[in-house]
Amino acid sequence: MEPLIATHDLKKVYRIGKVSVPALRGISINVQEGEFVAVVGPSGCGKSTLLHVLGGLTRPTSGKVLVDGNDLFGMSDAQRTRFRAHKIGFVFQRFNLLPTLTARDNILLAQQIGDGCNPHRFASVTAMLGIVDKLRYRPNEMSGGEQQRIAIARAIVCEPKILMADEPTGNLDSENSQIVLNMMRAVNREFRQTILMITHNPAAAAVADRIIRMRDGHVVSD
Amino acid sequence: MIGRMIAQNILRRPIRTVISVLAVAIEVGMVMLVVGLTHGMLHDSARRIGGLGADVMVQAPHASMFLGMTTAPLPIKLGDRFAQLNHVQAVTPVLFQFDSSGVSLIWGIDMESWNRVTGGFAYLRGGPFTGPYDVLVDDWYARQNHVRVGQTLHLLNHNFRVAGIVVHGKGSRLFIPLVTAEHLAEQQERASIFFIKCTNPGYTDDVIHSIKELLPNYTVLSVQEYMSLLTSNDLPALTDFITVLVAIAVMIGFLVIFLSMYTTIAERTREIGILKSLGATKGYIIELILREAGVLCLAGIIVGYAGTWAGRMLIYTTFPTVTVELTVRWAAWAALLALTGSLVGAFYPALRAAQLDPVDALAYE
Ligand SMILES: Nc1ncnc2c1ncn2[C@@H]1O[C@H](COP(=O)(O)OP(=O)(O)O)[C@@H](O)[C@H]1O
Ligand SMILES: [Mg+2]
Repeated sequence: MEPLIATHDLKKVYRIGKVSVPALRGISINVQEGEFVAVVGPSGCGKSTLLHVLGGLTRPTSGKVLVDGNDLFGMSDAQRTRFRAHKIGFVFQRFNLLPTLTARDNILLAQQIGDGCNPHRFASVTAMLGIVDKLRYRPNEMSGGEQQRIAIARAIVCEPKILMADEPTGNLDSENSQIVLNMMRAVNREFRQTILMITHNPAAAAVADRIIRMRDGHVVSD
Repeated sequence: MIGRMIAQNILRRPIRTVISVLAVAIEVGMVMLVVGLTHGMLHDSARRIGGLGADVMVQAPHASMFLGMTTAPLPIKLGDRFAQLNHVQAVTPVLFQFDSSGVSLIWGIDMESWNRVTGGFAYLRGGPFTGPYDVLVDDWYARQNHVRVGQTLHLLNHNFRVAGIVVHGKGSRLFIPLVTAEHLAEQQERASIFFIKCTNPGYTDDVIHSIKELLPNYTVLSVQEYMSLLTSNDLPALTDFITVLVAIAVMIGFLVIFLSMYTTIAERTREIGILKSLGATKGYIIELILREAGVLCLAGIIVGYAGTWAGRMLIYTTFPTVTVELTVRWAAWAALLALTGSLVGAFYPALRAAQLDPVDALAYE
């Protein structure tokens, strides 16, 4: 079967003035549809960079990224932005909800930006994540665990091909971490949602189908 | 959703909002009051010149359209030569004096010839001059300043006795004897302007023609022509003056909105990063910022209209003889200028926001 994400010898070098920082030194991975993949590795090994490149937020220095058969960086910026809105959902360590909007509006905003999303999905996603009674609150009125569940709802409300999560439990206590991880697992099972999740959390690795270990910009085990 | 984000952003930064709205309001108010004042003054003076009953007016070369702005007076003897021309029924000289204390133009008139040209005043109270330091005021001025006959008015650094109150609509609101005006101006036998009445208004052009032959460089106009010049909407001299003030006003609105949106972008970098991570296009971000500026501007326009109205009240109580002519046309122009200035001011910040790198913006503290 054709992989959902396919990349070969992906490299990314950051340049800060005259200094070059190689963040990705040749990554080749495939992710199948419906897979729940965890990416682990020490801080600074290039996990976030990998996620940003696979998600179309950052352009690689060399190498191609195919998502659902589309060459992500062969598109124009505008095309890639639209593609991301429909096909890729992000969850971040810092939740990144818009502070001025309620939970409901944060999720609806993603639907609006994703233009053409299935509007009925809102109800099933919020029910499944157990946040129906949180929808009228603003981010600063919710716990971290609740905020992260809103962020997950926002990321998957447009039925993206892939959900990318960068240390989603990094700012949570262990109880809330466990809740969020269980939600990720449930989302993966119930919606057959493909997930690529960066994590430091040993428990996180346990809920995933597959673990990719990285070090110094390389994949060391898969 | 954009609407709700904008509403929140506007409500959450009250000081920024108030300053932006005020700047646009000042812009709108300034445009409307400046235009309203000039139009009011011109139309008012056009009406009063028209009410004289004269047909032709003669002024020094390159005279300003604004009566009283020209200082170079004409020899009074010229009046005799005009009187000898064909079809001239009467000629009267007037010397203008500016009374800086009350922003009023005082006309020094020669009562005998004045009566022949204009048909004379209609007196509501009192009567004509009886001495050199007598003044006539019109009913409008009298009412606004609570002036009574016999009372003393301090004008041109002298005390004048109010000899009479006349019906408004004949040239000025304040009149003193010509000889007194000449004396105070230290201009013996001089006049600022001559008003000429023809034996029949149909001869106006002939009379103008004769005067131009006699004095080729002088400013000779029919009263009709002068009035239409004052009431037309595109006065050459006026446009420069208004343009400068309008440009300053628009600049104020533009700069404040620019700065306001620029600082907003810096403050909201992370939020823009979030929008971009959700797949918001450049167009979406630009629209968001421009609409926010648009809302601030619309609020400013409304406050500006209210301020204009209040400003007019203030002007009316401070300078009772001044007219501020507010028109729908200029209200629309002021709004359009404010909106354009605001959108142009917000455009660069909007573009900057749209071009932010999503990952950098998300990492922004
Ligand atoms: N925007 C950037 N500019 C320069 N260097 C960066 C940037 N982002 C990341 N790096 C560097 O790239 C390497 C990998 O970073 P990152 O992908 O964030 O690792 P991880 O997420 O595994 O901690 C690190 O050495 C980091 O300092
Ligand atoms: Mg990281």
